[in-house]
Amino acid sequence: MSKTYQAIVIGAGPAGSSAALVMARAGLDVALVERGSFPGEKNMFGGVLHRMPALEEIFPDFWDRAALGRHIIKKGVTFMTDDSSFSTVIEAGNFDTPPFNGYSIFRPRFDNWLAQEAVKAGATLITRATVDDLVYKDGKIAGVTIVGRQGELRAPVVIAADGVLSFIAKKAGLRQPTFDPSQMAVGVKGLIDMPREMINDRFGLVREQGFANEFVGCTAGVRGGGFLYTNYDSLSIGLVFHLASLRTSGKTPYDLLNTFMEQPQVAKMICGGKLQEYSAHLIPEGGYDMIPELVGDGILVTGDAAALCNATGLNLEGINLASQSGVIAGKAVIEAHQNKDFSKRGLSAYKTLLDESYVIKDLKMSRKAPHMLHNDRIYNEYPELMCSFMESIYRINGAPRENLTKLFLKSAKEKVGLGNMLADGFSAWRAL
Amino acid sequence: MNIDEIFDYTSFTIDREPHIVLDYDICTGCDNRGCVNSCPARCYTWSEEEKKMTFVHDGCLECGTCYVVCHRNAFTRWRYPRGGFGVAYRMT
Repeated sequence: MSKTYQAIVIGAGPAGSSAALVMARAGLDVALVERGSFPGEKNMFGGVLHRMPALEEIFPDFWDRAALGRHIIKKGVTFMTDDSSFSTVIEAGNFDTPPFNGYSIFRPRFDNWLAQEAVKAGATLITRATVDDLVYKDGKIAGVTIVGRQGELRAPVVIAADGVLSFIAKKAGLRQPTFDPSQMAVGVKGLIDMPREMINDRFGLVREQGFANEFVGCTAGVRGGGFLYTNYDSLSIGLVFHLASLRTSGKTPYDLLNTFMEQPQVAKMICGGKLQEYSAHLIPEGGYDMIPELVGDGILVTGDAAALCNATGLNLEGINLASQSGVIAGKAVIEAHQNKDFSKRGLSAYKTLLDESYVIKDLKMSRKAPHMLHNDRIYNEYPELMCSFMESIYRINGAPRENLTKLFLKSAKEKVGLGNMLADGFSAWRAL
Repeated sequence: MNIDEIFDYTSFTIDREPHIVLDYDICTGCDNRGCVNSCPARCYTWSEEEKKMTFVHDGCLECGTCYVVCHRNAFTRWRYPRGGFGVAYRMT
């Protein structure tokens, strides 16, 4: 197999399919190359699909057209210990009116939908094709080699949307040759089937409403957190760990997931359901400082491959940033074709436009968040403090009551230390 | 969830040709072996008795955790499976 295109996109995830869609709509002959047997087959995430400004611009009816699940009307945070939990939940009236703030999705459905939109626009989708290497001719990128389907595809420009490990960015010399485990997290997830009515009753939902919750203190001291959200007929439940912390802990992701699912309050939420699928994926959590070179001669790097993921502890954004970067990369390639210049300079509009977009602006703003989140107290001491303080507020047992401030300071001193608490508060305030 | 039953939960099209190949001598000399506990699919097992690392690629979720945590670069090969092979998620 050998064919010449005007652009090759490696990876049919949110970044790659968005890029292919934009270029195909502009009339370019685009190959969208995917290693799975269909787009989305290899992809997982642990959260909510937020607003997608880039796709909403392309599809004014995006929210009716896309393969989505429940819209999230209720978001919670739970601070948890082995046997207690303290939760806050926001259910906002306007979360239940369109345009909705977020949806639960299945990646094998959503990613496939987006790729098929690129196909409808004229892109050529090549599945079961793992890109192995870049092909150079006269010192310039001239295409890629693939394994699975054997062969070579040719184009003067390549968009690397090949995911978090991006071997293509590495081969092009754009990313660091090795990763720092303190800039990476791994997520594991179980999909638990459950009848729709049971989900609605249990989580206080009606119609197509959904619930998403995050957990802190559920990782046995490993830096990380948990999540649970509702699909139509199933729950997604999982944990995310910072890799450097997981590695030194000696603990395993699946044992920690089991412990999380057996915590008494969590066990009640998932009881009656049955595990249907288990999945895992890496998350580039290094933020702004982890972003590789985004542009080279004949190549652009997008999405997770470019570490465009914003983990602030409160929200975890990735798909929206990936899609936005894909659209911008697609526009830069269209411009490069107009000028017949595929050099780093000819493609530089990608970096300029990305810098001006919310993608880089947000990542710059939360630049200090990854560092702030490398504080072990967040994952153990603070959840314990929250639970023990709340418990003592509500405990009425005949002992004389203490003043609330005194009570809090006593708990804080015991669990965290006042100096630590001041320092952590300051660092969180600066980071967010 | 029992990780031994991963094949009951998750679908795989297993390639006979492994996509990850280790230089076991490096693993034997490693002082860390973070891969053993960090791999979400338990593909790595270390036998303290035999001083031997065993790696099985069949249930690999292709997440890349081992690639990142291995500080000795014990991989003579680490690539994604050939197109069409490996893990196949349905509902994630």
